[in-house]
Amino acid sequence: MISFRNVCKSFGPKRVLTDVSFDIADGEVFFIIGASGVGKSVLIKQLVGLLRPDAGDILLDGDEVSRFDEEAMYAVRKKCAMVFQHSTLFDSLTCLENVALPLRKHRGLGPREALVAARERLSQVHMQEFGDRYPAELGDGMKKRVAIARALTLDPRYVLFDEPTTSLDLVSARRVDKLIRELADRLGVTCIVVSHDLNSIFGIATRIAMLYKGQVRLLGTPADFRGTTDEIIQQFIQGRAQGPMET
Amino acid sequence: MSVDANVETTSALPSEGGLAASVGRAVFEAIDSASQIYGVLVRTLYYVARARIDRDAVIRQMYEIGNRSVFLLSVVIGFIGMIFVLQAGLQMQRVIPDLTMLGASFLELLVRDLAPSIVALMLATRVGAGIAAEIGSMVVTEQVDALRMCGADPVDYLVKPRFLASLIMTTMLTLWSGAVSVGSGMVTAEVIFQVSPRTFWNLHLVHASDLATGLTKCIAYGAAIPIVSSHCGLSTFGGSEGVGSATTRAVVQSSLAVIVLNFIISSAAFIAFK
Repeated sequence: MISFRNVCKSFGPKRVLTDVSFDIADGEVFFIIGASGVGKSVLIKQLVGLLRPDAGDILLDGDEVSRFDEEAMYAVRKKCAMVFQHSTLFDSLTCLENVALPLRKHRGLGPREALVAARERLSQVHMQEFGDRYPAELGDGMKKRVAIARALTLDPRYVLFDEPTTSLDLVSARRVDKLIRELADRLGVTCIVVSHDLNSIFGIATRIAMLYKGQVRLLGTPADFRGTTDEIIQQFIQGRAQGPMET
Repeated sequence: MSVDANVETTSALPSEGGLAASVGRAVFEAIDSASQIYGVLVRTLYYVARARIDRDAVIRQMYEIGNRSVFLLSVVIGFIGMIFVLQAGLQMQRVIPDLTMLGASFLELLVRDLAPSIVALMLATRVGAGIAAEIGSMVVTEQVDALRMCGADPVDYLVKPRFLASLIMTTMLTLWSGAVSVGSGMVTAEVIFQVSPRTFWNLHLVHASDLATGLTKCIAYGAAIPIVSSHCGLSTFGGSEGVGSATTRAVVQSSLAVIVLNFIISSAAFIAFK
């Protein structure tokens, strides 16, 4: 279980998050949505210590991870993996070496052992034949699949997806959606997804939180979002240019 | 001491104000920056002592820092050797028309100061900029965050190999550059002042203390350049503009570090060996 309690975050004079609070239950596919720059990625990065909240608490399985130091955060990152927006594979490593890296660093496996396990992970996302290629030789969809394989190498209980379908074609995007849903349904992995993609949001979400002006505007199921009379939310989910929403 | 902290660096001081506020802000930022650089140095030394060393990564960085700098350094130090011998010879001719000590004075200066410092300033420009640009790009594309998610400390994974490679290659390049400079100076002395190579190659003024000073400078510069540049890269903020700014800061701060270290080591050597 993940809990955000009154989380605040500013960058210099710019206040990004103000008193953000909500809980995420185990096994959910939880979407965090909102306009660009509203602080969605900032919020999930605070869960794994890539950014620190200015105030408030973040709890993961009852532990106040927002108070952990960098050393203690490594344990959190073992059970809480992240797939970044632009895949962020390491250019100097092959796909196989990219996937093997968490096994070597977190689990302390030797190079050969880690590569064997990494090959298995790549085959789960149907990328085994590209293991010896470098990221620069792959398309965006393939890179994303390798990044997902890397995130899943340690069998995490929680996976954070930062705009997983951005820059993907529709078919690749829906494949990623399917993969996220399967993670939750078959393996019980809790997936937290930051996204603007309405197809993904209404296709696979268990619950949704919409951030607006640094605060939670609405927290609910996809049906709650469809049925709300809030003009700002309706404008966002219908993708209308005209309306009261400030960006 | 945590490197992640610098990603979020924001000035606590107001962005506007008078002269006093500007000076105060500059001092505050300098102290903050120095303490962060110290943090990176301590963590690097910790990982050098405690963690496994990736030999392939160090060798790759040695090639980047050393082999790819040889040509530039050879040309620059070769010309500097010629210029120094020419100017020194002309000045000596005015005062005492005896050039037998031309080589001896040049070699003493070369060993103690000229070779390590010129090499370090050139490396601060070429290598410092490269390190900051590479690490800075990784920061803005979230690759450094991804490293941390993979359980790898960026200081261990990115800074340590560059630090070790720089320590080794700065010393190697200084030795090579010294040889090139002696060669070019020797030719200049022979052609312009008719000082024979045998007369020029006079090591009477080069003492063990000069060698110790030169070697100390090599090690200090070799350590300072990657640490300062890596810190600039790791504290990159923003997009490509941020990478450009980090690169500029790396060159300026590394060069400044070389000059300050030169002063400190030269002063310490003067006191220790007088």
